[in-house]
Amino acid sequence: MQKTRLSAVLATFILCMVVWVLITWSFTVQELAAGVLVSIATALFSSRFFVHGDSYRFFNPAKIFSLLGYSVTFFVELVKANLDMAKRVYGGCKAVNPGIVKVPTEMKSDYGLALLSDSITLTPGTITMDVAEEDGKNFLYVHWIDVTAESGEQAGEAIKGALEKGTRRVFD
Amino acid sequence: MIELLICAIFFALMALSLVFRIAKGPTPADRMVAGDACDNLLCCAMILFSMYTGRGIYLNIALVGAFLGIIDTMLVGRYLEGSL
Amino acid sequence: MIAVRILIDVLVVIGLYFALAGTLGILKMPDTMCRMQASTCIPTLGVLCVAIGGILYAACFLHSADNAVKIAVVALMILFTNPIGSHVIAKGAYKADRRGEKKIRLNPDDYGRDFNE
Repeated sequence: MQKTRLSAVLATFILCMVVWVLITWSFTVQELAAGVLVSIATALFSSRFFVHGDSYRFFNPAKIFSLLGYSVTFFVELVKANLDMAKRVYGGCKAVNPGIVKVPTEMKSDYGLALLSDSITLTPGTITMDVAEEDGKNFLYVHWIDVTAESGEQAGEAIKGALEKGTRRVFD
Repeated sequence: MIELLICAIFFALMALSLVFRIAKGPTPADRMVAGDACDNLLCCAMILFSMYTGRGIYLNIALVGAFLGIIDTMLVGRYLEGSL
Repeated sequence: MIAVRILIDVLVVIGLYFALAGTLGILKMPDTMCRMQASTCIPTLGVLCVAIGGILYAACFLHSADNAVKIAVVALMILFTNPIGSHVIAKGAYKADRRGEKKIRLNPDDYGRDFNE
């Protein structure tokens, strides 16, 4: 448990305020004042769970553009995986060969691991089950619906080949 | 724009057919997966029905469903894992 | 205007196709983890296509920025919170399955090899 810092409170406050304005979408003074009060209370309680490390990471335009580029890459992977899963379902459900594979990854930071494993979980066909660390390297345990690879490296190339490059550009 | 209403009815029928899996499913995880999918499908139906009627009040129901749908899923998942 | 209406209808029908794939997958896949994999089709392309269609309709025909922004918040919320719940349910289902009598057949099972109870 880490201490509450002013920069972390500021970053969390800006995020909460943006979500408040997007949900209510009214710009009268009373609504904005209520939003400021609720956002400050939320930020004071939750910023120490929400922000680890550098708080001003996303105030940098280059990071935001790399995040947009990553979302395009992720959308292409998403469409391909969805078409594959739809073919598997409408074709009679015979071709399933499930298994849990252990995949090595290059990511180091917590946010990078979270973004990579969430992206893997969101593509149909793969679910991240756990993250383990063994002598300095991180490993993901991934449930895969059609195991075709022999070793962990081949499975990693098939599961997260394009995603990991984009993720490393956003974080690290 | 009657086709939006027809598509909303199709989404609601799919959510209704998932009640079969909720009632039958052999393990609690099956029931929870079917309930989560039912929640997402009803959010879609609410979006389409709100666009058909042109009133924003149905979007608030979809918003609350999307925000609170995660909490029961995580509660049941933590219980199954044995760490609650 | 007629082109925008055709685009909205095509997007909603694509969303319906993938949502039907997810529903049929939940109803007829053989075991718990495969049902979970198939259900991921619903919150990704099903919700996303319907939400893009709804945003176009609210912006072009209803002329209300309020409803368009609210639909975008609903879609992004479902898209961001779904993998967390899916991950927790998968881990819990695996642990509950290894405690039971009849186990799911998994071809390679590295997780059970490393963390067997």
